[in-house]
Amino acid sequence: MAYVIRPRDPRTQPEGVVPGYSQTAQRWPAQPPARRVHGAAELSGPRGLTRRLAPVRGDLAGTGDKRAIGQLIHVRARIVDEDGAPVAGALVEVWHCNAAGKYIHPNDDNDAPVDPNFYGAARMVAGEDGLVELRTIKPAAYPVPGTGGWWRPPHVHFSVWGRVWLSRLVTQMFFPGEPLNEHDAILNAVRDPQARQRCIARLVPQENLLAYDYELVVRGAAAAPGMP
Amino acid sequence: MKRLVPTAELTLGPFFPPEFAEGANDLTHLDGRQVPGELIEVTGRVVQLDGKPLDNVVLEIWQADAEGRYDNPDFFGWGRAATDAHGVYSFRTIKPGGRAPSINFLLLYSGLMRQLHTVMFFDRVELKEVKHAERLVAKKEGANRYRFDIRLRGEGETPFFED
Repeated sequence: MAYVIRPRDPRTQPEGVVPGYSQTAQRWPAQPPARRVHGAAELSGPRGLTRRLAPVRGDLAGTGDKRAIGQLIHVRARIVDEDGAPVAGALVEVWHCNAAGKYIHPNDDNDAPVDPNFYGAARMVAGEDGLVELRTIKPAAYPVPGTGGWWRPPHVHFSVWGRVWLSRLVTQMFFPGEPLNEHDAILNAVRDPQARQRCIARLVPQENLLAYDYELVVRGAAAAPGMP
Repeated sequence: MKRLVPTAELTLGPFFPPEFAEGANDLTHLDGRQVPGELIEVTGRVVQLDGKPLDNVVLEIWQADAEGRYDNPDFFGWGRAATDAHGVYSFRTIKPGGRAPSINFLLLYSGLMRQLHTVMFFDRVELKEVKHAERLVAKKEGANRYRFDIRLRGEGETPFFED
């Protein structure tokens, strides 16, 4: 089946150079990017990424005396394309900081404690329904050094693959009701309020845990019949 | 039928898990067997506007097999590497075939709000849509080694594609 990737809508995607986020002005290209016709390279795979990237963990919260500190949350993320069709077998990478705002990463020099029972990275494979379920703890807010008071709101990083090379999606999931959301330079680099809202997970009330639903729409749609 | 709007891309950030950035930069073996083709190394340095080399940039590639095919079940043309403290990345792969052999690159990094796409070619190439297409041609350094440096912004900026 022919698959098409339409140009990005700049209103629903972030600006390249973002006020208040100084590294963007060092790194985002100054020259306008070239448009090109998509061929086999852009509209093919990779399929079966687990041949190179093995799935690791789907539970970052742990249990018993290995339980990570923090509020237990379940995140149910669904990967669909622009037709709303689930991307069965999509590979999904997730990472986030601990309940004190600390990442397990050599570059994180935030003065916050490490939790020996928390390792914040998971790689999962979506089922036939495009769903992955992550059991973890809620990440905290943390300060961005050298920015005069920019605190990142709690967020979870997502890296997913869709059906073709140009469907790659790396983004961040935010939590509803967080006061820092409206001040975050990264989230607010998306101009369209509805597109911003879709970056925020939906709270689904449940008895014993905080559950969130989140939908990731990767680029690409089936070509309309009769279209080239 | 109503189409959904693709989710907004947002930056990879500075804390991409080191374990995710490792061990996927060798395309020469699959399921324990060496893949057919001419073995090559592709390496280069990634720098920003002020010339500073960038540490921990994630680069992903997608390429055809030695015959120019993207659907060969015995070759998996996808890989991932991260730059070291000197801004240097490296892939071990095979030389792709096809009419204008090339390797597709995707870059993810802190300070890049969206993924960046570019293409490395092995030979001189004419691309009418690209100014400075010569910057997309790798430099041959030795028999099986190609160098493809990437400048994100500034003088000598690498051409990128908007798809």
